[in-house]
Amino acid sequence: MALLWRLLPLALLMAVLIGLPPLLGAGLQNAMTNMLIAALFAVAFNLLMGQGGMLSFGHAAFYGVGAFAVMHLMTAIDRGGLSFPTPLLPLAGAAAGLIVGLITGWFATLRSGVYFALVTLALAEMLHSLAPHWEGLFGGEAGISSMRMPWGGFLFGRVIEIYYLTLIWVTLCIGLLYAFTRTPFGRLTLALRDNEERVRFLGYDAHATKMIVFAVSATFAGVAGGLLAVSNEQTNYELFSTHVSAQVVLHTFVGGSTVFFGPAIGAAIFTLFAYLVSDVSRSWLLYQGVIFVLVMLYAPLGIGGVVMLHLRHWARIPWRRMAAPYAGATAATLLVGAGAVMVVEFLEVLFSPHYFALRRRADMGWPEFHRFGTSWEPFGLATWVPPVLLLILGLLVLLRLRRRIVALWEEVHEQAAAEGRGEA
Amino acid sequence: MSADAVLELRGIAKSFGPARILEGIDLSVRRGERHAVIGPNGAGKSTLFNLISGLFPPTAGSILLNGREIAGRPPHRINRMGLARSFQITNIYHRLSVFENLRIGVMARHGLRFSMFRPVSGLRAVNAESEALLQRIRLERRRDQPAGDLTYSEQRALEIGMTLATGPEVILLDEPTAGMSQDETHYVIELIREVTEGKTLLVVEHDMSVVFSLCDRISVLVYGELLATGTPDEIRANRAVQEAYLGEEVA
Repeated sequence: MALLWRLLPLALLMAVLIGLPPLLGAGLQNAMTNMLIAALFAVAFNLLMGQGGMLSFGHAAFYGVGAFAVMHLMTAIDRGGLSFPTPLLPLAGAAAGLIVGLITGWFATLRSGVYFALVTLALAEMLHSLAPHWEGLFGGEAGISSMRMPWGGFLFGRVIEIYYLTLIWVTLCIGLLYAFTRTPFGRLTLALRDNEERVRFLGYDAHATKMIVFAVSATFAGVAGGLLAVSNEQTNYELFSTHVSAQVVLHTFVGGSTVFFGPAIGAAIFTLFAYLVSDVSRSWLLYQGVIFVLVMLYAPLGIGGVVMLHLRHWARIPWRRMAAPYAGATAATLLVGAGAVMVVEFLEVLFSPHYFALRRRADMGWPEFHRFGTSWEPFGLATWVPPVLLLILGLLVLLRLRRRIVALWEEVHEQAAAEGRGEA
Repeated sequence: MSADAVLELRGIAKSFGPARILEGIDLSVRRGERHAVIGPNGAGKSTLFNLISGLFPPTAGSILLNGREIAGRPPHRINRMGLARSFQITNIYHRLSVFENLRIGVMARHGLRFSMFRPVSGLRAVNAESEALLQRIRLERRRDQPAGDLTYSEQRALEIGMTLATGPEVILLDEPTAGMSQDETHYVIELIREVTEGKTLLVVEHDMSVVFSLCDRISVLVYGELLATGTPDEIRANRAVQEAYLGEEVA
């Protein structure tokens, strides 16, 4: 029964992932492909970060290496007539990730903590600055592009085919990574995170252990990069940039590094968010940053952590009394969000070169501007009062409700502690 | 070297820069005995343990475990050769369950150091041994709780359990009863007595009643030098020891 409850959400998720895309347009299908790839990347990254306790700031290195390896293989098939099954292309990414992961991992894991993070950052930066100058291997600044070849009756020409290919790979890889946590070595990885010294004094070679965890993480990051290359049919050195490394850290923390599926949730939400919002607003990176900061401040365990907290205490939560504050807080969050988005968007327009051009045409006056399908006065009360009111009102309500929610949660924790004592 | 010595230190010295912590230590621990190292704070007891267990190499001298040199070897090698230690400051896996803490050690004994192609739940011998160990340290009821949630004395018991998990022949316990109430001390000492049966124990301990009742022989370390080694009676009667160390407490 408990197992069934655990599998049910997974089965539902798989049903959606399999059934939904054919109903969507190519743009969304592509966004979902990217979402799956980001999810795999984040879960692979979290093997190192959440389970192994090693925060890498350079995981783009393995993602990029995987992508380039697949591109080279694809080129060889396309040009040289090499016969290799197209669906297995990501294997090249895995191999490249593994090899580069073993070599760089040996060095990086000589150190821990901040020094480890800096070594990984430097490794990725090295590739990032080297790649544009290395025509043969990385295709210089332009990068490499190639074509997927038809194989086994599939043309691999349509986005939906690539989506399903990605889905199979991502499901398989995340499944393998989950299985990994259940092996003796997976358990040892957790012990390593909690206390490296004790691992050594129990007869384990900590350095070798860390290096292998690093390499396994790099292998699956390589698969993710490889899948991206298969999907895009081109890649360039930008894949090595700190932005890519930072993105996976952000996905993982927002999703929750303490929960296995947390990073996948974070990656999926942010990728979808980027797809939907980046078309509408130029400030989407700002929104993403603000969400990250808020999650770190008020829910440091991330989305996955919050979900797990509720599941763990499900029976103890006084849902009747909790329902109203939760609903209210959700509404207030929406208000604050709406107010904040309006202010940001208005400011974005007012500071844009486009608006400056408008002003010039109006002899440096302050003409009306357009946003949200209507026009606004730059200094009009009707422009600024509603969003600011929304913000303030929402914040006040949130602060009040937060106190009530915290008080209720204290009850829950006290009850849990009492039960713990009762058993002991 | 006496024939029945399982652990033998010869001319061990350790300096950190200009600071000499240990000087000319000769110590022989016999197979199967319970041997205490006592001495005032700062005498170098913990440093001695760190040298034997491989945290860092000695500046001079040699350490033999069953006649094989271990000085300067990394901790995991020394552990695999049959010597395990506990720590003065509790050194456990806080976020893992009590059972998992023990199983990590048991896995090491079974040589499962890089095993990533089978589920841990299927390792019958490992799991059975971990359960047995859990019972020996009397933490069955805490089995699935995070080790960080245990009481202090329970954590100390777990610390000892983890030290035993790798199946060592020689056990080093660093102040196992530090910071404990009398009841807790009693509980842990009984535990130590029981679980070290048939093994060799080297223990650093401050509680003199514990030392005199638990151990067969005692070595007194003062200012980095070994003052005397002998049975509890011999140590009690030793004038130099009385003056240097016991004077304050025994007199």
